[in-house]
Amino acid sequence: MTVATQPAGGGYVDRGGGGGSSGLADVVELILDKGLVIDVFVRVSLVGIEILTIDARIVVASVDTFLRFAEATNRLDLYGEGKGGKDLTQLTQGMMEGGAKGKTSGVLDAAVDKVEEILGGNRNGDGDDEDEREPRRRPRQRARERER
Amino acid sequence: MTATYVYGLVAADAELPDGLRGLGPSGEVTTVEHDGVAALVGDVPADRPLGTRDDLMAHENVVDTVAAATTVLPMRFPAVVEHDQVVEELLVPHHDRFVRALEALEGLVQYSLKGRYVQEVLVQEIVEEEPAVAELQERIRGVPEDASYYDRVKLGEIVAKAMEQRRDVDARDIVERLSPFARQVSSSTPGQPDDVVEAAFLVARDGAEEFEKEVEELGADTHEWLRLRLLGPLAPYDFVPED
Repeated sequence: MTVATQPAGGGYVDRGGGGGSSGLADVVELILDKGLVIDVFVRVSLVGIEILTIDARIVVASVDTFLRFAEATNRLDLYGEGKGGKDLTQLTQGMMEGGAKGKTSGVLDAAVDKVEEILGGNRNGDGDDEDEREPRRRPRQRARERER
Repeated sequence: MTATYVYGLVAADAELPDGLRGLGPSGEVTTVEHDGVAALVGDVPADRPLGTRDDLMAHENVVDTVAAATTVLPMRFPAVVEHDQVVEELLVPHHDRFVRALEALEGLVQYSLKGRYVQEVLVQEIVEEEPAVAELQERIRGVPEDASYYDRVKLGEIVAKAMEQRRDVDARDIVERLSPFARQVSSSTPGQPDDVVEAAFLVARDGAEEFEKEVEELGADTHEWLRLRLLGPLAPYDFVPED
């Protein structure tokens, strides 16, 4: 992969924050989910959005996620062997639709999706596609040792 | 009633940076002091509810601009009190808590780090290492999407599981590498399997440069398979004491 995010300064780390350069998704996570809460405040009456209960960690792993990964392996397969019935555009299309089923638009990523949900006050739980998993602590394996 | 917006709290003798711009019609950010603690306050739009994108950005901008210069306890968005009650409802009853928290966080700033796998690299690795993936790929190949639905879900699930296993290891490695540069770390497991790490680091203001440098080096060492995003210096959002 050659297309890397390389911000000014030539570093490998994408930088943000520190008074204004953050994106909306970053800001939402910081200021809606964290920070000091004073119970007695007249918080809600003046506020147009439902904010008191935001679960920042939404979906652990859903069918949509699985389909997204399946497409990703399929894409490797296409690159690797030059076969298969779809071209890349179709695949990408499929991925986006699969990844955003029932949401407003396929181009939104998960973070922005979340923001939309919050700002729209539309916290519908999405209980069905949450497939709550036990934390998986398998025997440790060095994931990074790929010298094969 | 007139409402006042509260962005956060600072020590009364703290020097605030210039150019703060609040979310109210005046844009002004001022302080209300009581017994050593000052509330950062401003006016509130009277004709609409709070919660627009600009409101959120303004809150964060005020708090984090102040945080870059001095210790601030950030309020969670949105915090509103009646104009003449800032002292009585906020500063007096919570005085000791504010003083303790400001002292505990004196000279410290937060950095938030997120890491995400470069998907192609990880998926490739998993395909090579998991025989079940190749088998399923074989079964799916050439089969219409509807007919292969369950196989595709299963395939994706195997990939997601394998990724989560790697993530647990990698997240721990990342946090361990950066921990010596931080006073405290707060990390959580991200929602998506290809999001590797979400962690907040409480770092001494005078050690910030070193911390940033280490993150840069980490980024250089891992850029083939990991994308890092670093926010900060920020107010200590993740480290405000509960009580």
